[in-house]
Order: sequence, then structure tokens, then C-alpha cells
Amino acid sequence: MINGNLKSTYGADERVLDNAYKQAFVYGSFMALAALAMFANDYVILIACKMGILLVAVVGINILTGYTGLVSLGHGAFVAIGAYSVTALHNLFTGIIPEPVMVFVVVPIAVAFTALIGVIVGLPSLRVKGLYLAVATLAASFIVIFLVEHDSLAPWTGGVVGINTPAPNILGWQLDSKREMFILISVVAIVAILAAQNLVRTRVGRAFIAIRDRDYSAEILGISLLKYKLTSFALSAAYCGLAGVLLAYFFARILPEQFELDLSLELVAALIVGGMGRTMGPVFGVILIVLVPELIKVIASGFTGGNTASARYAAPLQEIVFGALLIFFLLKEPLGINHIVDRNLRALNRWPFARG
Amino acid sequence: MGQFLQFAINGLMSGAIYALIAVGIVSVYKATKVVNFAHGYLIMFGAYFYFTFAVLLPGASWAPGWLPSWQPEWLVAMKADLPMFSPMGAVLDWVSNLPRILLGIFGALLANALLGRVVERVLMRPLMGQSIFAMIMVTVGLISILSGASSLIWTADAAFVPHIAPNTPVRFEAFGTTIFLFGADLVNMIIALILFGGIVAFVRYTKGGVAIRATAEDQSTAYSMGISVPKVFSRAWVLACTTGAIAGAILATRNGVSPTLGLFGFSVLAIVLMGGLDSYVGVFLAAMAVGVLEAMTQWQLGGEWAEIVPYVTVLVVLLIRPHGLFGSKEVERI
Amino acid sequence: MTLNRRTFLGTTAAATAAIGAPMILKAQPKEYILGASLPLTGPFATAGQLVAPAFGMAQKLFNDEGGINGTPIRFVTEDSGYVPQNTLANYQRALASHGSSMIGYFADSTGAMKLIAPELKGENARIMGSTSFASELANPSTHPYQYMSGPSYQSQFDILLENIKKEGGSTVAFIYSNTEFGRDPIEHGRATAERLGIKVVLEESTKPQGADIPTHVTKLAQSGAEYCILQGYVTGVWPQLIGGARQFGLPTKFKGTFWGMEKLIADRITKEAGPFLAGYEGVMPYRYFWDQADAPRYQTYAAAAKEMFAGTPLENYMSTWALQTMCGLEIAMKSFRDTASAGKELTADNIAETLSGISDWDSGGFFGGPVSMKNNAIGTGRVYAYDPESGLFNPTSDWLTV
Repeated sequence: MINGNLKSTYGADERVLDNAYKQAFVYGSFMALAALAMFANDYVILIACKMGILLVAVVGINILTGYTGLVSLGHGAFVAIGAYSVTALHNLFTGIIPEPVMVFVVVPIAVAFTALIGVIVGLPSLRVKGLYLAVATLAASFIVIFLVEHDSLAPWTGGVVGINTPAPNILGWQLDSKREMFILISVVAIVAILAAQNLVRTRVGRAFIAIRDRDYSAEILGISLLKYKLTSFALSAAYCGLAGVLLAYFFARILPEQFELDLSLELVAALIVGGMGRTMGPVFGVILIVLVPELIKVIASGFTGGNTASARYAAPLQEIVFGALLIFFLLKEPLGINHIVDRNLRALNRWPFARG
Repeated sequence: MGQFLQFAINGLMSGAIYALIAVGIVSVYKATKVVNFAHGYLIMFGAYFYFTFAVLLPGASWAPGWLPSWQPEWLVAMKADLPMFSPMGAVLDWVSNLPRILLGIFGALLANALLGRVVERVLMRPLMGQSIFAMIMVTVGLISILSGASSLIWTADAAFVPHIAPNTPVRFEAFGTTIFLFGADLVNMIIALILFGGIVAFVRYTKGGVAIRATAEDQSTAYSMGISVPKVFSRAWVLACTTGAIAGAILATRNGVSPTLGLFGFSVLAIVLMGGLDSYVGVFLAAMAVGVLEAMTQWQLGGEWAEIVPYVTVLVVLLIRPHGLFGSKEVERI
Repeated sequence: MTLNRRTFLGTTAAATAAIGAPMILKAQPKEYILGASLPLTGPFATAGQLVAPAFGMAQKLFNDEGGINGTPIRFVTEDSGYVPQNTLANYQRALASHGSSMIGYFADSTGAMKLIAPELKGENARIMGSTSFASELANPSTHPYQYMSGPSYQSQFDILLENIKKEGGSTVAFIYSNTEFGRDPIEHGRATAERLGIKVVLEESTKPQGADIPTHVTKLAQSGAEYCILQGYVTGVWPQLIGGARQFGLPTKFKGTFWGMEKLIADRITKEAGPFLAGYEGVMPYRYFWDQADAPRYQTYAAAAKEMFAGTPLENYMSTWALQTMCGLEIAMKSFRDTASAGKELTADNIAETLSGISDWDSGGFFGGPVSMKNNAIGTGRVYAYDPESGLFNPTSDWLTV
């Protein structure tokens, strides 16, 4: 509960940023992003771009897992489909569509295609749920990666050796530096978050939440499980596809192994750590999941002074910390960082009258 | 036809190992309703423990000389006039490896049982009664911890371990083609089948087994009937980890010890869902079917296709029978 | 503070000065950075951990010899876990933090080389060596900044197949790991085999680690191949596969390429499982380290290793993998020094030009004689056979150039 919350019009009540705290936070983040784009060094830009790409995908998972309550351990495959289809489409349309408008044609097709595959993968969700769905999506992602790697699709996907990706050209603006990509990624990420936030305020979003809370009850209330579960899958796949598009544009080449199980687990872990079913959950989660390994690397090399013999402990340590973070949040703080932030803000707000 | 027979037998042999791995997942699920995504990584630990006790320890400088290689006089005498790579030579090699093989197996069993207990006590016990999602994700987190820990302790190096049984080649003619089999693989298959049967019998006929089944049926009723549910939980985990240690040791002799052993867990998970989570019979049939299908795919389409066989079959089965071939349907009340 | 046009311009100018000024001063850095990613963890950890100490030794040796015309060099090595995108991340991180004082990079896999290749353009280009002998990289028009310190896998396959032809073989099986590394020369090998009239009776792809050995061995047995070429493995699979085939009593002769030619692994297998590897043959581009008589450079290394690695197994023996790395570094240092001596700036383009023009280079014993860079690779190699009793790989052919 936040004070100063008095609304005198319906319009004010329906706004996305319905109080001064949220406004300050959101506009402050915009300023911070702009400052990053202008002043940050290349290394920071690199990390920030990775966060942005991951963020778009995690927002997608949040729709599926956080709001609709369907578990997927295979969403890395959708990132792969987005990345590969945008690359293949670029190669297909080169010379047919002029470069400056290419993006506006191929990106929607790639995202729509990923959504379509999402619907297909989501089909088992109608009959199975929980654990069975987790394994079904896991199985589907193994199959997708297998197909991407397979020789028969190699003319389009490059097979195991990977494929070079195009640099985007938006109406004549060639984004060939990481800094320019950062601007594109941040804009897309902000739009993605706002769109997701708005979605859960609509009829569709409320249907998702009803399904999450009890799917049979939702059905009795007249919510078509078929329609909404598949919509949820399609939307989350589309988000992941969009993340894949950004990833393909960001890196100069993509390889199938970038999209394997590790990515799928990272996406879900980021969501759990950040807080499921909350708008800002993915943001907090992604920041932590991307920053922690980097910090370990920096601290480890600080301790050992760049000694190669001990450099080999960094990677296993990163893996252990990743797992430990996930388990810690599940056991001790299942609502994620978002909840911690909420609690502290509330305490701050009520201080000195109450403590939380 | 002869070729078919060759690959069918290969398939049954790997199917038996799948069944042995699967039994761990099913036992834990039956008792605790947790599906262990990290079971493959527990198996990998079993394999590394076997490697530690059968290769690293006997190789240490302070280990007694007979441990790495037992050479009593009669053995040396028998070996003296044998040609290289003879069937008898394989048996004798096995005999001289026997001390460390035994040490390896018992060490792996104990260490893995301990690991299972720790995992159960520290991670699973606090989650009793939590949502399925949380429990799945905790085992997923466990995957990262286990695989990180293993490369921290052993370095992620593929290593060679001694076979559990004499690796005498078996060759015979059938339908005009020669069938090649490894002796050790046959013994592995028999070990796997005996263990599988033993566990099913344990759960069906012993007092401890009845406690597991009662807990599976209804936890609170089991509690009120005087069954210690926490004890049942830890027993199930220890059971899963010890069978996992044997499976790990077998896999290590077949494929070498390496971190990739953990990935077996995922294909076996697919098999378990295919057979039905709580049905030993269903899981056994599914394991054998997938083993044979994989071998046939390997034969007809090549190695890379075989990797996705379990995943394709589980998707098909789940679409037709959402709770697996023999799984019992959960009744949901609102 | 309100952000108006004047304050904005002011801060931007200040920031540009802060970022830009050091860049101008760095034109002649006080030391040059050479970045490297190694698989210290992951499936090829054995190789990475054996190669890592070589960097320390190289740094000392090169700096004792005066660095690059007086400017010392420093290696910054990181772990990649044999995951290409980790190598890419390491490279990008090194580029972002060292800027123009980083003049070269050493990558650890075929995948990483291919993943980074398209990033090497304009100001971000750096000269790049690696542990890979991937054929696609031996092409200065598509990969101008990347080079190899030996023959490509395709050339190695050609050498092996011609060797088989000479021995009168008529059937061959290819067994390879399902990775870029494994698949690289397969298609080319098929074509060469056809040209030489050798029948390829089996092409089997396996996992790079933890493969289902018995099934692969039965497939090899059923195919009845006289020869079998293994490609794409470092420590796992190949010894077990050969062991399995020997136990079946298959007459198949096994051959391998560079990464399957390490004495330490062969010795370990012999110790663990018996003399399976007797007669195993393969291509190695270099001399083995014990063959020091005609190799003055090896003697220098041996002296340095005695001092630096006293008491460790590295004291007396350098693995083939470490030799490959050292050879790659020697080539890079030669091109840095030659470029600097010619009075040119150490940009990737200048270095690449020098590097591709290296000819009749006396490597100090790595190769049988003077070698030249052709297509950014050195197409020289020799066939060696393993002798389990002495634990040595003995040459069975003369130095071959393709």
C-alpha cells in the first residue's frame, strides 16, 4: 500500500503509472538508459545489451509462467527460432526488398512464425500440465535444436557451423555498432514491458490469471482453456522470438549451441529470482542473473591476479552460484526480488510509523 | 535379419540401463511426489565416485600395491602364455582389477547414498507440501550446483574406468551375419534387470516398501497410521541414489566418465513420463521400447537421430495418453 | 539540474575528452596485450590445462628476447569452457577493456573462430590464432585476420587417405564427433576417397563425449572396414572405440588427426586398459618434443620449462597441444616484430599482410624445414605411429607438404 494514492477521476485510476513513485522510477530509468547510451564504456554497453535481450525473452516467459501458470523449460528454442528465421528471411529477401524497409517486413514474419510454433508446442498444454508440460516443452526444445543443427535444413540455418547474421538497417540507419544496437534493444525492451503490463489489464490478461489460479474453475466461468492457453503460448513464444531477432542482430554470427538447455533454464531462473507474475520481476531477475556471473569473474580475477591456473575455478563457481541463487529464492523468497523491493519501499514509505 | 537382431540386442542392453536409471526417478516420485530433474546428475556423481574409488585412490602413491593391480602368482602364471586380446586374457585382466572394482562400487554406493541423504534433508524436506512448480525448479537448481561441483572437484575430463565384469567379446552367427556383443554389457544388463526386479519386489513385499506405498497413497493418513513419513522420504532418496550409483558406474564403463552423463537424466525423464510416473511396469516397458527404437534409429539413420528418439516418442505418447502408457490419472477436485 | 542544450553539450564534450584522450595517448602503449581463451573447464579441459602454462612460458621467453622491438607483451588468459559464445564474450570484454593495446587474440575452438570471424572488421579487427585447424579458416579472402599454425583438417585427411592408398587399402570408415570440429573434413574426405578409389563403407557420427561406444563398435564391425579415420575427439571416445574394436578382434587399422595424437592420453590409456593403441597412426604437423636434436627452439623451450615448471610433469615434456599453441604464438610474434621493424603501425591489416606473406620461415624445428604461409595455413605434416612399449610416437613417413 502506498500513500498519496487518492484518485479523483477514473482516468487517473486507469493509468499504467498510477502514482508518483512509479512515474519517478520509470522516468528515472529512461534517463539512466539514455545516460548509459551516451557515456558508458564498451564493456558496460555489452553487458547491458545482453540484459536487454534476455529481458525481452523473460517478459515472454512471465506471461506464460507468471500470469498463466504454465511451466515451460524449453523457451530457449523459441529464441532460436526467432534468431534463425529472421536470418533466413534476410538472406531470402536480399535484393527483393530494399534494405531500409527490410526490418519492417522480416521481423513481423519471424515473430509471427515463432508464435505459430509456440501454438504447436503449446498443444500438449491442453491435455497435460505442471510437470508433464515441463517435460513436453523440454522435449520440444531438444527437437527444435536438433532440427536447427540438422544437415537437411543447413541451407537456411547453417547447421552446426552456425550462420552469419545481418546488421539491421532501419530506414537507412545502419546499426553496426554495439552502442546503436543498445539503443534499439532498450527501446524494444521498454515497449515489450509496457505491452506486457498493459496486456494483464485487459480481458485476455485477466483470463490468463484466472487460468493460473485454477484452470477448471476458469473453464466453468466460461473462459475457453483452448483459446487462452494457446494465446498465452503464442504470446510468450512471440516475445522469445523477438528476443531471438535482437540476438541475431546483436551478434555477427549465431550457433545452435547458444540456444540449448542452459538458455531455457536461465530464462526461467531469471523469472523466479525476479518475481513471477509481476511487471518488474523480469527486470530485477535479469539484472541479477547477468550481473552475478560477471561479478564472480571480476572478483575471481582480482583475487588470483589473472593467474591461469586458478582461472578454471571461475566457471564452475558461476554455475554453482546460479543454482544456489535459484534454490535460495525458491526456499526463502518465492515471490522474488520484486517482493523484497516492495517490502522495503513500503517500510520506507510508512517510516517512522510502522516497519513493513 | 541378422543386423536387425544385432541392433535389437544392443537396444535391449541400453534399455535395461535406462530402466535402472528410471527406477530411481519413479521411487522418489512414488514416495515424495517430487520429480527429480537432477537425477541424471546424481548418476554422474555416482560415476565420478566410482572413478574416484576405482582409479584415483588405487593410483595414489600410498595405496597398497595389490589394489590397483592384483597379481598373485597363479594369475601371473596363467597370463604368461596367453596371446594379446584373447577371451581368457580379458577374464584374467578383470580378476586382477577385481579389488579396485569392488572398492569402486562400494565407495560409490556409500558416497552417493550420503549425497542423496544430504540433498533430501537440506533441499527437499523444507519443500514438503509446496507447489509442484517449486519442487521441480529446486531440482533444476540442483542440476547447476551438481554439475558445477563436479567440474570443480574432478575437472570436466573424460576418463577411463575398469569394467565391472570381464569384457570378453561374444560372437555368434545368426541369419548369416556375425553378431558382436561385449561380455561386460551382457553382465551389466543382468545386473540392471536384477536390481530393477529387486526394487519392485522390495516396494511390493517388504514392510519398508509398504510404508512407501502408503505414503504415496496419502501422506497424512500414513502419518496417522504411525509411519514416519520423513523417514520414508529419505529412504526413497537413498534408494534412488544407490541405484543411481550402480547405473553411473555402468555408464562410466560403457561411455567413459564425463559431465555429459548428466544429460542421460533428461532422456530417462522422458521415458518415465512415457511409461507413467508411478508405474514400474510401464516405465520398464517404455525403457526397453526406447532402447530398441534408439538402436534401430542408430542403425538406419545414424547416430545423431538416435539422440532425439526419447523426446519424439514422449511427445507422441503424451498427446495420445496424457498420463503415460500405464500412469494413473490424477483426479482433481475443485 | 535541468538538461538544456548547453549543459548537454558541455557534459558530452567533457565525456568525450575523458574517453578520447587516453585513446590518443595509447597510440604507443607501454605494453601490448595478447588475449586468449582456453578450455580450462568443459569437455576439453585436459587440453586447456596443459596449454595454459605455455602462455606463461611464452610471455617470459618473448619478453626476454625484447618483446616487440622493445615493447613488452602480456598475455591475458581466460576460461571459455569450450563454449564458443564464452570465447566471444571474453574477446568482446578484452576488446572493450584493453582497446587498441590488444593486438592479437588466441581462440580455443573452431566454433569460436567462426563465431568471432564476422566481428573482426574495421576498428574491432585483431589478428587471431587458435587451436583449430578448421578448413574454412584457411581462406584469406573470407577470414583475412585468422590463421592456422599447421595444415587444415582437410589436408590432414588427404595425407591419411593417400597413406591408406599407398598401403593398398580399399575400404575406410569415418567416425567423427557430431561437432563442427568433427564434421569439418568429412565431405572433403569423401571426395578425396572417391578420387583415390577408396570406398567409404561407414560414416558414423557420435557424441563428442559419453558416446554409446558398444553400438558404434558393432556398427564398425558390421561394416567390415579395413581402415578407420577418427576425427573430432580429444580425450574421450577414441581410446574406448579402439579398445572395443581390439577386444572384438577386428582387423581395422585406426588413424587420427592432430587432436588424437597426444602421447599423454595414449600413455594413460595404455596404463589403464592395455596396449590397445599399438599401430595407431595419425598426422601431426610438428616434431614431438623429445625430438630435439634438430630443433634449437625446442631446446630453448626445454631449458625454460626445466626452470619454470620444475617438479611438475611439464618439466620434461610439452604436449602436442602446447606445441601447437607455441607455434601459433611464434608466427604471431614474427609478424608483429616484422611489421614493427618495417616501421608500420601494428594494426590488424598491417599485421595480416605481413603474416600472409611469411615465406621460407625457419621455425626453429617445429617443422622439418623452412615453411611458408599459404592461405593463412602451413600445409606440412608427418605421419606418426604409436608404440605402446616405449610410449613414443614414431614417424612412419617423411615430411609431407600438401
